[in-house]
Amino acid sequence: MKIKTLSRSVDEYTRERSQDLQRVFHNFDPSLRPMEKAVEYKRALTAAKLEKIFARPFVGAMDGHRDGVSCMAKNPNYLKGIFSASMDGDIRLWDISSRRTVCQFPGHQGAVRGLTVSTDGNVLVSCGTDCTVRLWKVPRPTLEDSSVSSENFIEPAAEYVWKNAFWAVDHQFEGDLFATAGAQLEIWNHNRASPVQSFQWGTDSVISVRFNPGEPDILATSASDRSITIYDLRMSSAARRIIMMTKTNSIAWNPMEPMNLTAANEDGSCYSFDGRKMDEAKCVHKDHVSAVMDIDFSPTGREFVTGSYDRSVRIFPYNGGHSREIYHTKRMQRVFCVKYSCDATYVLSGSDDTNLRLWKAKASEQLGVILPREQKKHEYNEAVKNRYKHLPEVKRIVRHRHLPKPIYKALGIIRTVNDSKRRKEDRRRAHSAPGTIVTKPLRQRRIIKEVE
Amino acid sequence: MVGEKRRSTSKNLAKNKKRKGPHLPNSILKTIANEKRPLNSDEEDDEIDSDDANVDLYEYEEGVPEEESRKNNRYDPVVNYDYELPEDFEDENVESDDDDEGGNSDNEEGEGDVVRHTRMLQAVTGMPSAAFDGESKRKPVLFTEAYPESEFNPTRDVLEGKGLLTIDDFMAPIEGKPGFNDLQKRISRMQKDTQAVVHAPLPKPERERLERKAVKGLVDKEFNKWVHMVKRNREAPTVYFNQNVSLGYSTVGAIASEFQPRTDFEKKMASVLNDNELGEAHDEDGAKLLELNEVSVEDHIKYRDHIAKMRSLLFRHELKSKRIKKIKSKTYHRLKGKDLKKSAMGALMDPEMAKEEAMKQEARRVEERMTLKHKNTGKWAKRMISRGLNVKYDGTRAAISEQLQINATLSRKMNSTNDGSSSDESDDEEELNDGSDQDTPSKLIAKAREKTLKTVEDDEVPNSGLLSLPFMARAMKKKNEEAIEEAKRALEEYEEWENSGGEENSKKTADVSGRRVFGATAKVEAPKESRKDSDNFYDNSDSDNDMEGIENNDLRAVRDTASPVRNTGAITETEKFDDDIENPASKTTFDVALFASGSWKKMKGCQNAETKKKTKKHVPYSKSQDKKESRDEESEDSESEAEQMVDGILTSASKETYEIPSQAELIQRAFAGDDVVDEFEKEKQEVLNQEVPEPEKPVLVPGWGQWTNIQKKRGLPSWMVREHEDAKKKRTLDLKTRKDARLRHVIISEKVDKKAEKLHTTTLPFPYTSKEVFEHSMRMPIGPEFNPATIVGSLNRPEVVKKAGVIIKPLKFEEANPNEKVDDEHPRSNQKQNPKKGGKTGKGQRKGKSKQKTKA
Repeated sequence: MKIKTLSRSVDEYTRERSQDLQRVFHNFDPSLRPMEKAVEYKRALTAAKLEKIFARPFVGAMDGHRDGVSCMAKNPNYLKGIFSASMDGDIRLWDISSRRTVCQFPGHQGAVRGLTVSTDGNVLVSCGTDCTVRLWKVPRPTLEDSSVSSENFIEPAAEYVWKNAFWAVDHQFEGDLFATAGAQLEIWNHNRASPVQSFQWGTDSVISVRFNPGEPDILATSASDRSITIYDLRMSSAARRIIMMTKTNSIAWNPMEPMNLTAANEDGSCYSFDGRKMDEAKCVHKDHVSAVMDIDFSPTGREFVTGSYDRSVRIFPYNGGHSREIYHTKRMQRVFCVKYSCDATYVLSGSDDTNLRLWKAKASEQLGVILPREQKKHEYNEAVKNRYKHLPEVKRIVRHRHLPKPIYKALGIIRTVNDSKRRKEDRRRAHSAPGTIVTKPLRQRRIIKEVE
Repeated sequence: MVGEKRRSTSKNLAKNKKRKGPHLPNSILKTIANEKRPLNSDEEDDEIDSDDANVDLYEYEEGVPEEESRKNNRYDPVVNYDYELPEDFEDENVESDDDDEGGNSDNEEGEGDVVRHTRMLQAVTGMPSAAFDGESKRKPVLFTEAYPESEFNPTRDVLEGKGLLTIDDFMAPIEGKPGFNDLQKRISRMQKDTQAVVHAPLPKPERERLERKAVKGLVDKEFNKWVHMVKRNREAPTVYFNQNVSLGYSTVGAIASEFQPRTDFEKKMASVLNDNELGEAHDEDGAKLLELNEVSVEDHIKYRDHIAKMRSLLFRHELKSKRIKKIKSKTYHRLKGKDLKKSAMGALMDPEMAKEEAMKQEARRVEERMTLKHKNTGKWAKRMISRGLNVKYDGTRAAISEQLQINATLSRKMNSTNDGSSSDESDDEEELNDGSDQDTPSKLIAKAREKTLKTVEDDEVPNSGLLSLPFMARAMKKKNEEAIEEAKRALEEYEEWENSGGEENSKKTADVSGRRVFGATAKVEAPKESRKDSDNFYDNSDSDNDMEGIENNDLRAVRDTASPVRNTGAITETEKFDDDIENPASKTTFDVALFASGSWKKMKGCQNAETKKKTKKHVPYSKSQDKKESRDEESEDSESEAEQMVDGILTSASKETYEIPSQAELIQRAFAGDDVVDEFEKEKQEVLNQEVPEPEKPVLVPGWGQWTNIQKKRGLPSWMVREHEDAKKKRTLDLKTRKDARLRHVIISEKVDKKAEKLHTTTLPFPYTSKEVFEHSMRMPIGPEFNPATIVGSLNRPEVVKKAGVIIKPLKFEEANPNEKVDDEHPRSNQKQNPKKGGKTGKGQRKGKSKQKTKA
């Protein structure tokens, strides 16, 4: 005779310590839980709503400059340090955690246009419209620094005067070269008073330069002749150049995908290119209504932040056509520079209103130490929201963003214009012989040609 | 030199001109025209001849080219410097210029003044006339070079591709000099060797373009080497950053491992602890000590077991005394005291007294067994039972049962002195029973009763051991009560049956339709049976077995009694199934289920048709049984018994009047009351009306349109009627176009459920290409309630896992590793291992491990 009994081992439900959680046993038989999908949908909806409720991205503003912030540089070796420079020649080092100036680097006579830090975080390079490149020794971060309120001033370690004004500077990753953009692209060494290399292709001045973090000898520039050019320092020659319809203000390389770069364009869109095939963009990131002034990739390579002349900061996924987030405040003016923090948790923006602003990269993220259970809960919420994001209600809540009125209106206008253009083209195509009117895909439309 | 150069230029020019000739069709035409024309002078002939000598390929007469004839100033003038050469220069190549002159001579006639003027100039300056000729005729052309001549600023000749110097030109002057031939040979050798020729550098833009092309290829190659990493990153469901960054010490042990002695004391301690000599000394002495201390394994195990036993005993005792101490009941304490006293007495009592007592008890028992005084054999009891009052009145029944109880206690088998003999007796009895299975019913009943009583008596609470613990006791008591109750009921039945007598018995069997009654009784049986089962689980005492024994003995009798009796009968029967069937799990449940549903017998009948046949033929019971036994020898015991029972029932019950209905018939009978089709149609109509409602009849608002007779006569306004008609038409159309319009047995609701709509997307979302895939992706829940804890983590893991506050470095290049897939599968395991890296010892271990792995 077989006897079925209920048996429970005491060990299974006894806690080791009184603080331990009571173990709960579940029967995972799906027939016992017919409502699981509905339950999860509801949870997704709740998670979406909670996300909206907890979305408080603005962490704080850093006030101190007397003119618009023109450029920023993050210390690749020290998370809390951020350098910023303004149009009046003032350079400051900020402590992000206390949001105070640690020290200042006075010396520039005109606007500082470029700022960069060596990978070891010891040398700060600045350049500007006063035709000088200055190298500064970055003070070692100490515990006292953040507590002492008195601002100390630092003398430049080196000052190199050159023939033309500079527009941008960028430091090589793990090397001692840096590149300046001005009348032409110049490569400098820390120890030389004049550039070690200079490149010119065409006569127009170069306005931005960025080294590839993965491939330290490859760099990309954009020039005022609306071109984007890739150079290789080992060959000391340019490799590729494309001409677009509008000027590119800034370039960022994807740190996790060394062949890919994204260009912030004057027409309000960003274009992601594959460095091997520049004749068409891999992805067009649209959403800004005015020129995109600066762009910076998240160290994870999964998203990037852009600052625009339309007074907003947006965060785009690296492969998505539209932004996932927009940050704006009433007092934030034209954004000239943006940076993603080195741990991919924060976003910094410097704007014309002389302030640096610190934002969370994920608006509703909980900061500080998170217990494992909490973490699990967050992960579950995120996962469930991600799973049901296509359902109308969840989608609506997740996508909803409040926009400033000017941007909202501009978006409406842009939409109208695009619609009418499309209509017109459709009609034209309908009334002409088939095959005569060929429309380029959006990814190629703004690219004029690739120059050999 | 310059002069020479120019001369050669002119020579080449002449050559070129002549060679060009045949390629141009119009020049040929001109040649034809020249032939017609008489030649102007002998000079020209000479010239041609001389040219003939020079040119070895071909020659034909060519007229003056148009640009050189200067008939009209259609062509840009070309300066001829050749006339700077001295007149007496003997080279014959000058002819080409003479040719020009010849051309000029043609013009001279027309331009007499000019000629005269030149002559004058010639006379004055002493220079050849041609020098002035060009000056006068053409505009003076001045070539000014802004920069000195260089490779970047080549002369006109070079740009035009003319006037290239050849080696012959350089060689000409030294011809005939010593060593010339040698030189010539070397040069010719060089000329043959084409590889050694160095070409002129390309212009810079061209060169840069080529350079860029090369660089482009290199850069592409450089980028391509990252592809595998990028691909891996993109395809990974989760990317981990900084998993191997240690965020400092996590445990006290880790901190302690990094301890460095600083103070003198600490250093001293460290020196002692790390002293090798001390360690050796300890090893030597310590080993000896250990040897002395050796304990055998058996001893150790024995000791351990002993300790464990003592501990557990102590623990139990502690628990017990703790609980007993808590009890406040006075009665309990009184009884406990009594018990104690008794036991004390028992202990005190001398064996003689005990024996006496036992004898007394035995005597009483014997008396009881002989007289059966308490077995309701008395006058009153008989009367009561014969009149059936014991059933009617509770009091009477209680009294009777009390009597029985006394009887049971007295006639109980004693655990006293003559234990062995009594058990033998009982065995004998049982044997007898077995043999006289088919004995008279009265005897059987008596036996059954006896056994029941015995069981009732046997259920006594033991005073010591685990079962004496109160909660066990309570449970036992409860069970016993139930058992007793049941036994009592059984007893009553026996009594009744006994009283009613044998002839009645046969009659009853005929009357009772046995198991043929479906429904009510069966339903009653099911729960009871289950209860009985549950009882079985708990008490393993012999009471049950005894009960079964009873029932085994006289099952038929029990079966054939009246309905209340049948209950127990049924119970016992199912029990029997439970116990006896060899593969109990499935079969038992199957049988029980059948039994409960009431169609058990039917199924049985179907299973073995032979049995059924037998029943129809009304074969006498005993016979059939014999037959059965012979046939089903190989079949299981239980089965045969079961069938036997069935046979028994059926033989006793079924007469010619009864026919076993067919399956369809049965179903029809079962669902006789309800008309499903009609109901469904009604339901469908309701649904239709709800989804496509019938239009309301047009009604006038009271008071409106009913003022006068005319209005009344006119009836409803036409628009209302029309509207109504339209609505009706629309409804019929709607009904026709419904999906279930032609399906009679189907309702397809076309109502859109707004709440359900929320759970669907209108279009297929972007990354998905098929509906199935999308739905599949949403199918399994991911929550912790629906999944075991081991998977939940991986189900919910975000795309990017990073640590806040740790700097993420850019991608570092790694060669494509064929084994990397293994790593991908267990990213977590990597992460777990990594924190151990921190300590030096950990690192060493890891290294050792990896070495081992490689060796293996």
